[in-house]
Amino acid sequence: MSALVTLGNSFRLPSAQGVETTLPPRMHLLNGVPPLVFLVDGSRLFEVEPSFFAELAGGNASAEARLFDMAKAWPRAATDHFLPPPTAITLNVAQSCNLSCTYCYADEGRFGGHATMMSLETACAAIDGLLESNHGRRVSIAFIGGEPFLNREVLYLAVRYALACAEHTRSRVGFSVTTNGTLLNAQDLAFLREHSFAISVSLDGSAEENDKMRRTRNGTSAFDLAVQALTPLLENPGRARITARVTITRNDLRVLERINALLRVGFNEVGVSPLRTSPVPGLALMEQDWPTFLQEMERAGESEWHHLRESGRFSFSNLAIAMKQLHSGHCKPLPCGSALSYVSVSARGEYFTCHRTVDNPRFVLGDVHSGLSLNQREVFLESRYVDEQEPCRSCWARYLCGGGCHAEVLSSGRSGCDYVRGWLNYCLRFYDRALREFPTWFEQGERTS
Amino acid sequence: MIPKIFPRNLTARASVEVVGNPVTTRLESAVGNCFPGLEFDHRNLDRRFFPGLIVEFAANGIRFLEADLNDPALAEEAGLKQTLAGDTGIRLKQGAWFIEEITQGGTTIEMPQVGQGLDVAMTSWRLVRSLQPGSVTIKLERRLRRGDDQRVPRTPIKLTAKRRTYVDAQTGVIDVAYAAGELTQSLCSPWMHDFRDCACYYWASNHPDIVLAEDPPGEPTLPSGAPMDPVRALTPIDWLRRDRGKTDPAQADADRNREHEIDHYEINQAWQNLAIVLQGREISSIYQPPTSDPANPFNNPDELAERLAELATLEHAVALEYLYARYSLKDPGSVTQTRLKNDLIFVWHEILLVAVSEMRHLRWDNQLIWSLEHAGLLTKKVGPALGIIEDIPVAFDPSRPPQLPPVKVDKTRKRQLRPLEPDVLQDFVSVEQPSGFLDGQYARVLATLREKKYPDTLAQLAARIIGDGMDHFTRFRDIQGVLQKYKKPQDYLRNVVPAPEGHPLGDKALQLYGNIINELRAAYDKGDMEDAIHIANARALMFELDGAARKLASEGFGVRFFTTPPVQALSKNHARRRPGTK
Repeated sequence: MSALVTLGNSFRLPSAQGVETTLPPRMHLLNGVPPLVFLVDGSRLFEVEPSFFAELAGGNASAEARLFDMAKAWPRAATDHFLPPPTAITLNVAQSCNLSCTYCYADEGRFGGHATMMSLETACAAIDGLLESNHGRRVSIAFIGGEPFLNREVLYLAVRYALACAEHTRSRVGFSVTTNGTLLNAQDLAFLREHSFAISVSLDGSAEENDKMRRTRNGTSAFDLAVQALTPLLENPGRARITARVTITRNDLRVLERINALLRVGFNEVGVSPLRTSPVPGLALMEQDWPTFLQEMERAGESEWHHLRESGRFSFSNLAIAMKQLHSGHCKPLPCGSALSYVSVSARGEYFTCHRTVDNPRFVLGDVHSGLSLNQREVFLESRYVDEQEPCRSCWARYLCGGGCHAEVLSSGRSGCDYVRGWLNYCLRFYDRALREFPTWFEQGERTS
Repeated sequence: MIPKIFPRNLTARASVEVVGNPVTTRLESAVGNCFPGLEFDHRNLDRRFFPGLIVEFAANGIRFLEADLNDPALAEEAGLKQTLAGDTGIRLKQGAWFIEEITQGGTTIEMPQVGQGLDVAMTSWRLVRSLQPGSVTIKLERRLRRGDDQRVPRTPIKLTAKRRTYVDAQTGVIDVAYAAGELTQSLCSPWMHDFRDCACYYWASNHPDIVLAEDPPGEPTLPSGAPMDPVRALTPIDWLRRDRGKTDPAQADADRNREHEIDHYEINQAWQNLAIVLQGREISSIYQPPTSDPANPFNNPDELAERLAELATLEHAVALEYLYARYSLKDPGSVTQTRLKNDLIFVWHEILLVAVSEMRHLRWDNQLIWSLEHAGLLTKKVGPALGIIEDIPVAFDPSRPPQLPPVKVDKTRKRQLRPLEPDVLQDFVSVEQPSGFLDGQYARVLATLREKKYPDTLAQLAARIIGDGMDHFTRFRDIQGVLQKYKKPQDYLRNVVPAPEGHPLGDKALQLYGNIINELRAAYDKGDMEDAIHIANARALMFELDGAARKLASEGFGVRFFTTPPVQALSKNHARRRPGTK
């Protein structure tokens, strides 16, 4: 169609009113050695010959047509499926915390309300709901808060209850917990090993870095408490899997140093998350911070390359997850499983779209007594599909990114999209490098996370 | 010039088609059998089971064909290579040599020499196929043929070597000893030819052998499309008949039909004249599906589940009515007159098939209910549904002759245990009538299950139940056809009344039935396809019940199915209640 003018990799259509409407981009070009092309539908990555790449980069429409002819059409992800029941829940067993981290989205666990503990009855009702609709399937139960080990009794009993019920429904249950680690005792460690927990420990790096933001009430070092409690587990994890999770605030955007500090403590895997919303001003990253943060992430990535060469294992879990997803062609119109495969249960027994939206009435989906509302889930999800969002609908990375965390976006808007695209560019290149140098990881289903 | 693109990740690789052979040439698309096979005949692998030798699995034994001194496997068998290159090799070139004995792992097996048809070839091949990797010893003997010198020395030749491994352990590549074309030198005939006589029934399973004749246009038909005339409706004809115009009934056995069928080689051209068959009937014009009212889906899963529970109780009731009626027939063993005996055997068998089919529907209705429960679609527990409905719907006036077009009448009759008298049999026909009540109800179930919120597989169960309905109707009409030649029902029935309470065998039979129901209840309550212990128990009890019912019937009594049987605790594997269940 001669009316089409290609511009970069999106089409602009002159419309009757003279207002330009943009069709969503179908591909993204990555210059470099070798030249790579990323097709948005199906998240398909191709290497192409430099001369062909030059044609595509020059906006040659017939070159583009030939590309799509060879790569064939990819079926569009249908978004009007029958919505199956979620297979994962998080139980906020303790909406209360022994620390008072400055940036906490959960207001020290209280989520803006009173400190509350989940009753065993509520936990069991939520577990019943999960298992009864998932006969014969794999399910996931995560414990979160606040600090979940403040309600140790319910945590332990809930695990046992879930295992007993799962025998009847023939479901297979996986457990996980997000904790600050400071309250763990020997019995807890044994319990975590016994039930093969996936443990995410919130620590921000070295003692100095960590204690700046993550504070105890009496001034002792939260870092020391956590490390002391966790060291036996780090030395002997048994069947448990432990990852450290770092929150990065704008006053210190360094990534590599924090990862290394935690690796020295004994963690094998560290993931980082930039702070986007915060009750305390001056902590969340702002527009001007993202380029620096991207540099920091890339620096950590390059260090990881060397680490991989030597050990064959990933320690930087952001990168590990990216590799896994790019390899499999992750292509989803949503950023995560909230309200879809996963819901969160508040201490009082209400269902919310995820652990970030607990006790926010905008995100309520029902309660454990009257059940999870299918209609509410549908309504929520329909409003979140990435092709309905601006500016996401015209971004090449939309099916990798998914539009960003619902809770963050709905409370403080989208920022750092250039960072996300920059990081994904980096990961696509990294992936291509890794696939060429270490093909066996990917072929043998090597665990990269 | 076509630019090259190189897929990197999995979705990229999945979307790129390599120009070249179509997918049907790929091994994973293969129909891998060895009868002989459609892509390659892997029996040809065994022709070289022994390094350096090529044999043939002939109708009279495993025949040595030739030695292949270039066989790469001989590289590891230096001694054998020398032997084959020397005197032994010269001896093998003369006369007819056969492998008579194979030894492996201390066991020696003599190869068969005599048998019918291809038995010897198949058996010897099968024995060779069962050899393990590792050392094998074969003994070859020379068989004298006409014209051979009798004085020729016939000392057996014994050779030992490692059985070929056929495929490289690292790469999976077929051993390079096989020459190009060797593995495909014997394949199935082109399908048109095989369509007639595929010996492994691959093609036979893809076409009908017995069908019903097409209706001449203008003849009255039932709503399902079946002709009104019951004779034409049910006369089976041979689908492979040479004379396409004839609609004589097919003979009872294959041999007698054979001479009237399209022959070998004829089939290669005549296959184009074979009829399309729909719903068991030949058709040569454009198919018009029977018109039926579009079924209204139920409003929600709970309504659907309630209706399924109700239908289950109906299936249960008719299954028991059919079963009771079955035992009212005379025992074929007690009858000497051949025609009656054969007719009785036929009817005993056919009624059981229908009763069992209803029991299957009872199970499927329960399976649909528990599947809905497990998928989290129901707000309350409905299953298991093992009751027995009181009133059985009669959508058609049972007194109206079946040849006339049916008229919908909303009536019910009370469930009743009755012997298989003609009016009872007619009642059975009415229940199963196509477009009757049962059909209509399941049509609604099917329409509901086709909605997106229901898991895909459930609609298929409902479709099968509907499909069975036509089959039951046909079978009961067959039974009518067989029994109508007898002037009096007493010719084929015996006097049977429900056993009174206190009758020891009658009570025992009832107890067995009660236990069956208990086991089924436990099984359906759990709804676990993997755990079949209750079903196995129930099945064992059904055999016992059959025995008890037959004995009872020989004493003039039937099982009192519609009485609530005494409840007995399950003897094993009770379903445990979960903690905290409401």
